[in-house]
Amino acid sequence: MGDFLNTLRIEWLKLKYYRTFWILLAVIAVCIPAFNYVIYDITDNSFPKINGQNILGNPFSFPNVWSTVPYNAGILIFMPAILIITLFTNEYSFRTHRQNVIDGWGRWRFIQIKIIEIFLLNLFVTGIVVATCLYFGFITRTSLQPKAGWEQYRFILFFFVEMLDYSLIAVLFAMLIKRAGLAMGIFFLYLIIEQFVVSLGRNKYKVGWVDYLPEEVSDRLIPQPFARRILAPGNNALWEKHIPLYLSIAVLYIVIYILFINWRFRKSDL
Amino acid sequence: MLSILTLKNISKSYGRIKALKDVSFDVPDASVFGILGPNGSGKTTLLGIVMDVLVASGGTYEWFGNPPTEKQRREIGTLLETPNFYHYLSAQHNLEITAAIKHKPAGDIERVLKLVRLYERKDSKFQTYSLGMKQRLAIAACLLGDPSVLVLDEPTNGLDPSGIAEIRQLIIDLAAAGKTIILASHLLAEVEKVCTHVAILQQGVLIKSGDVLSALSQEEWLELGSKEMEKLKEVLVRLPGVKKIIGSGNHFQIYFNHSMPDASWMNRHCFEQGIVLNFLQVMKKSLESAFIELTNNVSN
Repeated sequence: MGDFLNTLRIEWLKLKYYRTFWILLAVIAVCIPAFNYVIYDITDNSFPKINGQNILGNPFSFPNVWSTVPYNAGILIFMPAILIITLFTNEYSFRTHRQNVIDGWGRWRFIQIKIIEIFLLNLFVTGIVVATCLYFGFITRTSLQPKAGWEQYRFILFFFVEMLDYSLIAVLFAMLIKRAGLAMGIFFLYLIIEQFVVSLGRNKYKVGWVDYLPEEVSDRLIPQPFARRILAPGNNALWEKHIPLYLSIAVLYIVIYILFINWRFRKSDL
Repeated sequence: MLSILTLKNISKSYGRIKALKDVSFDVPDASVFGILGPNGSGKTTLLGIVMDVLVASGGTYEWFGNPPTEKQRREIGTLLETPNFYHYLSAQHNLEITAAIKHKPAGDIERVLKLVRLYERKDSKFQTYSLGMKQRLAIAACLLGDPSVLVLDEPTNGLDPSGIAEIRQLIIDLAAAGKTIILASHLLAEVEKVCTHVAILQQGVLIKSGDVLSALSQEEWLELGSKEMEKLKEVLVRLPGVKKIIGSGNHFQIYFNHSMPDASWMNRHCFEQGIVLNFLQVMKKSLESAFIELTNNVSN
């Protein structure tokens, strides 16, 4: 345990005085609520109201807010990925990944602490999402709204899984490409190409397997929350039926990424 | 004698290129062990393997008579290739990370920074350092916790002449304190001044290893001069064990088959033969010429 805490402390020493880290973290912490506020403002003011009720429903009120905010935050999920790529490629460009091993870390220890760091970063971002949910939930609170239960809270867990999936894809690219700019470029290219394949597969070739691609399957954990009953009335039950499968496959991808990252780092020249 | 590092048939391939071919040798305790070779001979690759940043294609190695572990590496001060530090951190903060990884007290940072004359700049960021300062910081990191073994790959890279002299003196002092130092360099003059043992690599092949005297025979000869060169030559050819005499202007170079006579004996002998020497010097082949001769022989 003491050894683990020492490793954690070393990782903290690397970040403590790294201004870029704190700036990017602050940007993430500001952008998630700000972006949600923009969407809230649009949904509140740009859509017609029938009998005083917005036709989109009350996406930012309890309990709907528990899926709305994670969905919106999911659009910004590339931001923590940029931070992760920066932190990881720094080690390569400074060659400190080598030096850490030379000085007495095992290769597994280096990867283990990076994965824990990503886990903690994801927890922090998820915390921001929860705080944003609470903020919008309370400012739109009415006396008639139903209470939230697991059905709603689970979206927080789904957001965490979705973000972990994206974060580990980012690590994978950072590790294989080693240079920050290029890794970010290829990461974004990958996201776009996968979306393109999914659109083509689903709409043109009518194949189902595209739903289980790494990015898509974790995106599917949090469906589009606005006016779901109007825009996609039959989809809700189908989504509910598939959710254990989506979750299992998303978690399986996480396990595969971690195993591959570990294998690659342990077996290759540093 | 206890072996600090033992290499057994270490090989490394990059595709079809063989960077190291079955390299085996022992580094004895308390030695200054020079790994010599021209650029690209495999010195850094070899050190990268024993510090676990490169994966050997074949062979094994042991530190302190045991299979390698991360705990052993904490007890070895290593400077491999380039100084690797976090650019955005100060020297102090970088060394705090090194000390924490090595499980050494952070209190030792002040000592090592003073030793390499960086204490006044301890709060400056690494990225503001000159090449020489970066190199000195890397040496400071090696010395943290006063390790018994040091692995130094081209430690004088980027240093000015006074910096080179300081590091050389530091190596001599550390060796005198009983430390084992493994020193990779292509600067033979540097190695000649400090090493007790050498391993010579060429194109990934170990040509020779052992103590400096046996690994690199550094032939000696005498150079003498007198106003009476003809008479001097007559005396010299009559000496027992003479291999060859080469005349060069006012001097003769005289080589012996086995042991060379003492210079004072030679002076006395010539004087007794009625010749007054006006020049007498013991000459020794430089490590550089011995090395070039050896590597050329292998190439041919």
